[in-house]
Amino acid sequence: MNLLPDLPLTIRVGGPLDALERRPLRPYAEPVLSFLSALSKALLGRAEVRDHPDIAAFAFWCRPANLSRLSAELDRRHARIGRGLVLHVAPSNVPVNFAYSFAFGLLAGNANIVRIPDGFAQVEIICDAIAALFAMPDHARVAAMNRLVRYPRDDAITTALSAECQARMIWGGDATVAHLKQLPAHPRCVDVAFADRYSLCLLGAEAVLAASEEALADLARGFFNDSYLFDQNGCSSPHLVLWQGSAEASAAAQRRFWPALEPLVRDRYPLTDARAVDKFAHLCRTAGTVEAVRGAVRHDNLIYRIALDALPVDIERHRGQSGTFFEHVADGLEGLAHIVTERYQTVTCFGVDRQAVVDFVVERGLLGIDRVVPVGKALDMGVVWDGYMLVEELSRIVHSG
Amino acid sequence: MSSAEKYDAAFVETFMLEPKDLAALKYQEVESWDSVGHMALMAALEEAFGIELDIDDIIEFSSYEAGKAILAKYDVQVEPVG
Repeated sequence: MNLLPDLPLTIRVGGPLDALERRPLRPYAEPVLSFLSALSKALLGRAEVRDHPDIAAFAFWCRPANLSRLSAELDRRHARIGRGLVLHVAPSNVPVNFAYSFAFGLLAGNANIVRIPDGFAQVEIICDAIAALFAMPDHARVAAMNRLVRYPRDDAITTALSAECQARMIWGGDATVAHLKQLPAHPRCVDVAFADRYSLCLLGAEAVLAASEEALADLARGFFNDSYLFDQNGCSSPHLVLWQGSAEASAAAQRRFWPALEPLVRDRYPLTDARAVDKFAHLCRTAGTVEAVRGAVRHDNLIYRIALDALPVDIERHRGQSGTFFEHVADGLEGLAHIVTERYQTVTCFGVDRQAVVDFVVERGLLGIDRVVPVGKALDMGVVWDGYMLVEELSRIVHSG
Repeated sequence: MSSAEKYDAAFVETFMLEPKDLAALKYQEVESWDSVGHMALMAALEEAFGIELDIDDIIEFSSYEAGKAILAKYDVQVEPVG
């Protein structure tokens, strides 16, 4: 096996590149489970994680009980082993996804080089916790196999790393993914790409009206977490709210739902001036260019609601950020059949029969919608991510026969 | 440690509380038992008892008292101490 070349990148966590241990392990190997369990515990015990529910969600996801649940779902008809070295080009706009990407590479049994984003407190907290564990003799094998690195956008470095890896996890917008995929890699290299996705929320008007104060507060908190935690940048964060019910019931439900969300946003979402300007500019632009826009309601600068009297087929191209939601009232799912393309990922639901949505997607042969989950669960990912069985993708079968 | 002692220890260590404050404890009623604290508590209980809590039980786990009934479903009997 070649030594990795000396490259001009900054190693945030781990030893030098040329000392990387690239021999893979089997999926869900004991050293990996022990490392991720320790990471979960270390993160959940840190006081600063209280300010970062996204880190807490990651830590909760990699706790032992969940790992053993994920492990139980592995396809074990054949012997499996990690592919070797996985290069992760993590998204620059969602701070914690590098950690999930890394964890899947590990769980599949691989060595990993993870390019991490700049400028997020969450990234530093997780990296510090990983570094502390890597320093312990118990985690020496996992430490030897992994590096968390930073480098500016640089095709030469990505190409040099691509030449050495057996799989790439590529995150980013369509243009980034297309660009990175065309950088040469070994023909056997497996690319798992996470491109732009679009997600929406279905709210049952009658259910919102009938909800107890407690249930309404839970709904608002769930919607807040789905949407505002990553500034609406998560693939699964909703941009469109479809109200299911009559016009009257929906209007009444809107008067109940949005005011319940407002105080949460006020208390917990730091809207910078730059974001506020972008948000307002988007609103003005949208009002001018999207014919179906009937009006807009602003809850201060916290929530922008853009009412649509029809669903334009290209609605996903008009998405906003920082708490901008398109709203449309419809009775039934028929509208989805007109707008859903392969770009559509998650539908979050409240007061709507989720199985009926799944059935609609399958029966109507829609090209998109991979997940139908309750409001509040948009960011919870299980063993299937963005339609991929990741541990299977990132490991190979050793077949005897 | 008895099951009851392990149960109390998970709350005391996760939320930094005195054992005497546990009996009436409810979700969101002390600052430390917020949604993040809830995840830490669930992970601590799973570890202490070697169980995997179902997601519905994690959501239903709304108080110190209610938790005892939930753990009973996993064959964990939390009897009063002493």
